[in-house]
Amino acid sequence: MEQHILAYFVPKGICIDIHEEHTFGEYILEFPNLSSAQVMELSTRLRLNRGKYLANLKTERIVEIIDKTIQLWLNPQYPLRKLAETLLPMITAYDAEIVRLELKRFLRGFRKKDLYRFLDEEFDNPGMLDNFRPRKSGGFTRVYGPELILHFFSGNVPGLPIWSMIMGLLLKSAGIGKTSSAEPLMAVLFAQSLAEVDENLAECLAVLPWKGGSAQFEDLLLERADAVVIYGSSQTVEKIKNKVRQPIPVLGYGHKISFAAVGQEALTADRYQDTVHRLANDVSVYDQQSCLSPQLVFVERGGVISPRQFAQLLASELDRYEKRRPRAKLGDAEIHAIRSLRNRYEAMAISNSEIDVYASGGGTEWTVVYHGRPGFEGSPLNRTIQVFACQCLEEALSHLRPYRSYLQSAGIAVAPERLEALAHCLAQEGVSRITAIGQMTLGVAGWHHDARFNLADLVRFVDIERSAEQLAELYDPDVE
Amino acid sequence: MKGWSEELVKEILGFIHAYSDCHSLEAELDPEFNDLALNIFKFQYQGNPHYKRYCQRRHKSPLTVKRWEDIPPIPFQMFKETVLACEPIEEAEAVFMTSGSTNKEKRGRHYHPTLEVWDASMVPPFKHYVLPDRDQMTIYVLSPAEDVNENSSLSRYLSLAVKHYGTRDSAFFFSKEAGFDMAGLVSALRKSEAKGEPVLLMGATFAYVHFLDYCRAEGLAFNLPDSSRIFDTGGLKGQAREVTMEELYSWFKDYFSIERELSINMYGMTELSSQLYDRTIATKVKGGQVCMEKIGPAWTRLQVLNPDTLNPVSFGETGLLAHYDLANWNSAVAVLTEDLGYQTKNGFVLLGRTKGSEARGCSIAIDEMLAEQTSR
Repeated sequence: MEQHILAYFVPKGICIDIHEEHTFGEYILEFPNLSSAQVMELSTRLRLNRGKYLANLKTERIVEIIDKTIQLWLNPQYPLRKLAETLLPMITAYDAEIVRLELKRFLRGFRKKDLYRFLDEEFDNPGMLDNFRPRKSGGFTRVYGPELILHFFSGNVPGLPIWSMIMGLLLKSAGIGKTSSAEPLMAVLFAQSLAEVDENLAECLAVLPWKGGSAQFEDLLLERADAVVIYGSSQTVEKIKNKVRQPIPVLGYGHKISFAAVGQEALTADRYQDTVHRLANDVSVYDQQSCLSPQLVFVERGGVISPRQFAQLLASELDRYEKRRPRAKLGDAEIHAIRSLRNRYEAMAISNSEIDVYASGGGTEWTVVYHGRPGFEGSPLNRTIQVFACQCLEEALSHLRPYRSYLQSAGIAVAPERLEALAHCLAQEGVSRITAIGQMTLGVAGWHHDARFNLADLVRFVDIERSAEQLAELYDPDVE
Repeated sequence: MKGWSEELVKEILGFIHAYSDCHSLEAELDPEFNDLALNIFKFQYQGNPHYKRYCQRRHKSPLTVKRWEDIPPIPFQMFKETVLACEPIEEAEAVFMTSGSTNKEKRGRHYHPTLEVWDASMVPPFKHYVLPDRDQMTIYVLSPAEDVNENSSLSRYLSLAVKHYGTRDSAFFFSKEAGFDMAGLVSALRKSEAKGEPVLLMGATFAYVHFLDYCRAEGLAFNLPDSSRIFDTGGLKGQAREVTMEELYSWFKDYFSIERELSINMYGMTELSSQLYDRTIATKVKGGQVCMEKIGPAWTRLQVLNPDTLNPVSFGETGLLAHYDLANWNSAVAVLTEDLGYQTKNGFVLLGRTKGSEARGCSIAIDEMLAEQTSR
């Protein structure tokens, strides 16, 4: 039985023609034909719907609605979840089991308690989103979110658009999300599930696919939006940023590089296996397509296993992982990139004993390149990791400097007494997130995404100063 | 290794001389090709510890390899990263180097203890594919010859072509001091036009782009005499300007009055000792259907490999090209390139260099990132 699935979501009453269909097994994904006039009408409608409904909702109520929606998704029998679990592996080519596990883990991060964490993390008093609230220094402050946010989603990690959508809702903003052709589905399904919980809220959202930069209405939307959030390559971010003419908040999440650092304390006889296992997991989840995934690892000498042995063990762990959850089937360009890297290092390995390549025998499924001394080199992704041996982790950090503006997460495994000092060094080199290895690919509620705020950077803080408050008192007819 | 290598060189020269007019698709030569390829493999395996280590990593040794197809092709990067030679390099008659466009310090080096094999491999196929119908021709060379760059295999190639097949009027238009003498070439071409004597232009593909830019700017075009032809090599990869081969060939027609069928692209690389050619001229001269595919001499073979697994693809499928070249006796008898192509019953079609991947989202491969940084 064929099943037709819409690859877009718009408020009721907006009619859109189907333009293109993509078949995945028995499912047919329907893509819209969008005209500038339609999209303009849509943006007006969204703004209107928001004014009528979302703008007047109390934050607590919004949190409840989102939480309820997430609870739907946390039920394994929920039809949309089952649909996502079936379709996403087909669309993205990621292993089905990885998609199932990671989607669940990801969505768990938006339950009520987590949503409050987001809010409390960024606002002294989240009540400011609903009313003017007193300030410690006198007067009052209220926070206003943008009326309409234009989101540009990336397609590398299924579900990631939901993050941006939820942040918008917490700020009582209507949203138009542009999906990526690599993963056009999850944002749509999430909007549909929101509609199941609260139809009026979902009426403030639209999710649309179009080819970035190509549509005429993209420029018109950029003129109409009150804020823009962009996920994608640095070029994409830059291109869109340059198109924004008016002084509105524009948050761009462009290219980033993450890495791991393993101290000798994590390489004791009883620990090393766990350490290797954790790192293999970070490398394998979503085939390093997330900017949170490690591309390289610094391994300290002095443990019971040497950095070279670490590389070898990591290789066999990646091999086991591949057997359980195979890497996505790649396009030619990605394969060539891995093959080229392997050839280069295999050539070096022949006459340089400090370099070695451990790689899957059949194809390009996984690759570990070992370097006997510290350096910094990334990976063509898709389960390819560079291992750099070092005397001590602190010594390796000097190699980070040239990549400063691109650094993001460092997954580290060190003893408690080293944690803070090492974190300080990493921070100075440009790292903005320090996390446990084994947890690298999972962003947590309230984190400072690329060292910034998720919510606070989008809003306007409006103050009623003490003087106005005092002066108002004067005009109280009943004042003594 | 001295005695052995002398023996081997003799054998290879014997093969080349015996089959100088044959090509790589002639199946009846396979057994002989196979024997000699395995001999060379054994020689390289024992003569070069680096080569041996690479083969061992792939679980290949002369004991296990019985067919030339199973000899592991060496990634061309190995010429950069290590010394690929069986004979002492300080005694080499020549060392050819890659241009090192990305990193001047790291140039691929191909050592030739004697140029006898390289020369023997170059001359007959050149005649066969470029000048099948003539004993001599006036050759105008647009790219540096041997006197300008002694470490370039292309320079030696160009010089040898002129030495063996050039008429007295042949000339080189690239000198160390003045670079590419375009005005000189223009007046030489005018003279050929006036005399009605056909010419062969030879040079790197991009040299033509520069010369045609010049012609365009000066408002020049030529009506070169019948039978004139154009030889180009190297392709258009890695150049700042985007020009396709199709565009270039159409310009050859517009600016030189030379048809595609009399244009020939030679596929060669520093890492090989033989060259492969378009079959255009050879088949046109024969009068039958003109073949656009490329082919190599009898002492070469081609394998097309799946880029993911490096196993051979089925016939006709696209993959990475691995060249087997008996003239590569001192370095590596099989070389793995990053060129893509596919085989046909007439030879093979070159599709160009592989391109690295583009990031799908916020994660980025570092190569791209550096490119981003430098382009700012």
